[in-house]
Amino acid sequence: MIRTAFRSAGALGGPAGAILLAFALAAVAMLIAGVSPLDGFSALFLGSLGGRSQLAETLVQTTALLFPALGVCVAFRAGLFNIGAEGQLLIGGLAAGALGAHLNVPAPLAAIALFAAGIAGGGLWGALAGWLRAKFSASEIISTLMLNFIAFSVASYLVSGPLKASAASGAQTAPLAPGAWLPILVPGTRLSVALLVALACAVALLWTLNRTVFGYELRASGEAPEAARRNGVNMARMTVLALTLSGAIAGAGGAAIVGGVLHRFNTQLSPGYGYTAIAVALVGDLHPLWICAAAFGFGILESGGLAMQALADVPKDAIHVIEGLIVLVLAARRYIATRAEAVPL
Amino acid sequence: METVNGAALRMTAIRKTFPGVVALDGVDLELNPGEVHALVGENGAGKSTLAQIAFGTLRADSGTVAARGTVGLVHQHFQLVGRLRVWQNVLLGREPRSGLRIDAAAAHRAVRDLAERNGLEIDPDAFVDELPVAARQRVELLRELYRNPSVLLLDEPTAALAPAEIDRFFATVTTLAREGTAVLVVTHKLAEVVAYTQRVSVLRRGKMVARFETAATSVDEIARAMVGGDLPAIAARQSVELQPCVKLTGVSAGEGASAVSRVTFDVRGGEIVGIAGVEGNGQNAIADAIAGMIPFHGSIEVPRTGIVPQDRHLEALVLGWSIVDNAVLGRQHALRRGAVVDRARARSDAASIVSRFDLRATSVDAPVRTLSGGNQQKLVVGRALIDDPPFVLAYQPTRGIDVGAATLVGSRLIEARNAGAGVLLISFDLDEIFALADRILVLYRGAIVGEFSSAGADRARIGRLMAGAAA
Repeated sequence: MIRTAFRSAGALGGPAGAILLAFALAAVAMLIAGVSPLDGFSALFLGSLGGRSQLAETLVQTTALLFPALGVCVAFRAGLFNIGAEGQLLIGGLAAGALGAHLNVPAPLAAIALFAAGIAGGGLWGALAGWLRAKFSASEIISTLMLNFIAFSVASYLVSGPLKASAASGAQTAPLAPGAWLPILVPGTRLSVALLVALACAVALLWTLNRTVFGYELRASGEAPEAARRNGVNMARMTVLALTLSGAIAGAGGAAIVGGVLHRFNTQLSPGYGYTAIAVALVGDLHPLWICAAAFGFGILESGGLAMQALADVPKDAIHVIEGLIVLVLAARRYIATRAEAVPL
Repeated sequence: METVNGAALRMTAIRKTFPGVVALDGVDLELNPGEVHALVGENGAGKSTLAQIAFGTLRADSGTVAARGTVGLVHQHFQLVGRLRVWQNVLLGREPRSGLRIDAAAAHRAVRDLAERNGLEIDPDAFVDELPVAARQRVELLRELYRNPSVLLLDEPTAALAPAEIDRFFATVTTLAREGTAVLVVTHKLAEVVAYTQRVSVLRRGKMVARFETAATSVDEIARAMVGGDLPAIAARQSVELQPCVKLTGVSAGEGASAVSRVTFDVRGGEIVGIAGVEGNGQNAIADAIAGMIPFHGSIEVPRTGIVPQDRHLEALVLGWSIVDNAVLGRQHALRRGAVVDRARARSDAASIVSRFDLRATSVDAPVRTLSGGNQQKLVVGRALIDDPPFVLAYQPTRGIDVGAATLVGSRLIEARNAGAGVLLISFDLDEIFALADRILVLYRGAIVGEFSSAGADRARIGRLMAGAAA
């Protein structure tokens, strides 16, 4: 029966079918929890898409997920399991916050400076894992994960010590001067130009992967490492470059949150965007444009989750159940698809 | 052949399609107990598909398969777990148990008995990844024999074996058949078909086009049936003035048993030098040192090189990519225009490989995975030759591909030689060496132990040198 359900989900049109099936399963979960799925879902969608400000907030969440998801995409396409987007995002935000506190230049320059700081911070954090892998064959799965914890500890120390705004404030950097904030797109909301930067980033990444020599070598090392190595790709260099770029894009996400939303840095910058980003990247099939769509979908869940809790009395954690179900159904779909298509030898 | 008990395997009107291709169309095949039956055909003719349908890994769209008893399949690409021991591989999934544990003693005994009964010499405790290729083949065979099959399918079983090992392998197969197993050998090597089988079925483009009693046919007749006409002749050798090209002096490289030690030889522009030898005698070390993939002592002078690596799946192709994208691999910097890959040139290069090598594909955008082995190899060789390199390193360039494709690949290598390129041909297949090389070096345990001009070279003597006999 489950197989049939999966098959019909596939027939419904790939990822869309999988998402519908995940929602159906979530509805069952809500029924079991004694909540009307209809109330739950209407709260979810009204809370995320039901008006101008709701939509803007969904796009804020989309932006926050899109940067690290694109970063994850780069690493995965190179065959590297970067699960350290969370740490890279945090260090990127830290760098942007530390610089931003002293920034006193016109808005366009400030935006460039903030993103440059985020890219440098995240890139450095990614490069570290790349270097460990290239030099010592340290698994990037372990090192990127561990670097997440180190990033959090380093950031906590810095904002409660050297970078602390003032004796009276909590553990955070001094606020950015309002002139250094990222320009707001929709007045009265938190939606800033960071969304446009993220979308431009996706297009640039698509072009880099599909058109450039660097992207070609990156994809080759991911798909067939031995063939790449034997055909002129310097694998050690590629490992470092791919993880650096991956971290840099995630780090830009940290700068986007600091410059566009918080206007200062603290360690509550991310509720786990860097981890959700892995699911976003995979649901987006590791394709930059599909990842934009996936980030919007997860953005709906993130921003609608609060409404669900407030209006329908569904705990916000239920959103993570739905997210998990979507990923599971998609993974199962792919597994069933590969089993069904035996390829002739 | 006695058929009192009826066929061991009967396939009737088998039809199988893959998206865009009819792989098999109305194919009948009957195997009798006690016979060794050859299934031949060009790459892409449908041999492997038919074998997989017989075995059950693929299902036919229509037609019937009836087998008496179990069917065993020995794959061309070994399906072994390298880090497990021989007995663990043989019994994988069917281990004798005592409670929750594997009954190691019983397992051990079962494998030893099975090997002895079939005259297959093997150490049950050896780790598979430490075994030479011929021994791995025996492990594959044992694993299938353990299930006591009444039908045994062998897919390109001798692709990696040396001449003496091939004899031994078929001796085992013949014994099995004599005891009542029906054996189907899927192969390209027509000399083996003639030497070791009783009947031959020929597939061409998904149809069964001919059936012969082996005793009443010849290699030529089978080959004509395979390609549907006369074979194109291999390109003629022209006399070329030899130029200095590649020089190895006192080269030591590699590790362990397959290292080479102080090897010195040269390859001149305008000649094909063949390195003959049994696998594992240092071929990888020579190829990798020349390609710059491993460190070495001594000196290697080598110009720009077109490389045909040994393992096309692992080392040469990205199987999920198109022909166009694969045509770029290794040439991505040559095809660079600013930061981007020159796609127009990539497309025209791919098209030129397709036409020069008669590469059969639905389009240049088709994923390489969907091509037959012969067509994949044409792409690898075509890519190695497309920029007219002064030196070509060809490692088993016609391994596992059919006569037609092999002739074409060989012709292109000879044409490169005629145009003044030096070619180093490394092969475990003496036929390939004799067909292509001007000069033959024999490699044994990491040293060159003989050098011959291929015209008038004594084949038996080379065979003995390959086996380590002081000539």
